Amino acid sequence: MSVSSSRKITLILGAELEKLVTLPLIWLTLLGTFILNLVLAVAFTSAGLQGAAGTQSILKIGLASMVYLQAGFIILGILATCSEYTGGQIRTTLTTIPWRGFQLSTKYLALAIVTIPMAFIIAASGVLSAFIMMRDTALVIEIDAVIKPLAGATGYLTLTTLLSAAIGALLRRTTPALVILLGHYFIVSPLLRDFLSSIKNYFPDTAGYYMYMPPSSDEINVLTPMQGTGVLMVWTLIFITVAIVFYRKRDA
Amino acid sequence: MLTINNLVKRRGTQEILSGISFKARPGRVTGFLGPNGAGKSSTLRILLGLDRATSGSALINGKPFAELHNPLATVGAALDGFGAHRMRTGRAHLRWIALASGLSRSRVEEVLEIVGLTDVAGKRIGNYSLGMGRRLGMAAALLGDPKILVLDEPVNGLDPEGIRWIRTFLRERAESGNTVLLSSHLMGELEETVDDVVIINHGKIVADGTLEEVIGNHSTLEEAFFALMSENSGNTA
Repeated sequence: MSVSSSRKITLILGAELEKLVTLPLIWLTLLGTFILNLVLAVAFTSAGLQGAAGTQSILKIGLASMVYLQAGFIILGILATCSEYTGGQIRTTLTTIPWRGFQLSTKYLALAIVTIPMAFIIAASGVLSAFIMMRDTALVIEIDAVIKPLAGATGYLTLTTLLSAAIGALLRRTTPALVILLGHYFIVSPLLRDFLSSIKNYFPDTAGYYMYMPPSSDEINVLTPMQGTGVLMVWTLIFITVAIVFYRKRDA
Repeated sequence: MLTINNLVKRRGTQEILSGISFKARPGRVTGFLGPNGAGKSSTLRILLGLDRATSGSALINGKPFAELHNPLATVGAALDGFGAHRMRTGRAHLRWIALASGLSRSRVEEVLEIVGLTDVAGKRIGNYSLGMGRRLGMAAALLGDPKILVLDEPVNGLDPEGIRWIRTFLRERAESGNTVLLSSHLMGELEETVDDVVIINHGKIVADGTLEEVIGNHSTLEEAFFALMSENSGNTA
């Protein structure tokens, strides 16, 4: 790759990062998700305090809010791509950066750069609040046992954000993208799990669940964290690829 | 130099552009005139790489838009609407564009000064008036100090002072050797600004020449325009 191309990547990545950080909705979504997660973590911990003890319980209770907190990251992903279509910004984007595949790929990279630390902080805040409330039951927390699920939770939230961004780029409109994604994650997928139990582990959300949740002995057909990561990554890459193909071919 | 060659655009069964050709030359302001829905915006969108042509070409200095090495420094474009997210500030909008092209933040302040938006640059774009939005679009078009300007209805929504400013500004740009292509449906305005005129109706070019050539025996551009429109609709009927 020539020097000018690598400089171009740096410039465009800078511009895509600037777009994300100067959009107040992005920060409101992240702040709202952070607060909601803390409230849920405290509620789950209070409810699960009786009889629970040890690092595993702290993790399970601290990460129980993931199901709800992922909504914030779905919204984040959709906003990142659909905001291009507000006020005709897409025209400015494409007359400034007409290399479409390259531009959209850089947007995903910028989104991942913003999402990874935020996902880690938010997931960790849930576990930390569970630990603070349950410290009488586990005086020493095993760092190793905590870091892996937290890394898994960060990866899950980041991949979910990118998957949502890809679907946002395909649909180009915020409301339909929100209805489809939130409808899938909160209504369709939980319902289908009962009917399609043989393939439920290959849904992006159920596969992703195994990235961070320590396995219980009463569960069968579980995936390892690596298998879960693999399945969710395949879903994300498929949707990112389809979104880029359509983005390159369609009229803006 | 902008070269539109035999451009065809179909959407479904509808033919929006039926093989149009014209040029916009350096040192001239070219007015692209036509009623609403005639195909002006579609032509400009294809020229700027936003839409795909069904066939034919629209080239900038011999190249399609997407093949330009540094688009912002080659073509400044302002299409209809603000072209910006309403929740961002005017300054933040210009800053990301500047960043993408490796331009400095001081250049952002310069163009804000040129278009007279310095005082409101920190406000959200959603609070801008239509005229302020047009000025912001012009600021974005001027960021890279390009030799070519492509403007869709640039005076739409501007107050008399703004209209006068843009007229003087475009004339100065052309006189210093730059290419200016602007679309408009405001004939009186166009007559005072342009050197060359291209008239489009129902996706076909119905007149193309210097302002004097297109006006011909008519007293104004407006009269020439309506004469051409009735001739054209007579032909199609």
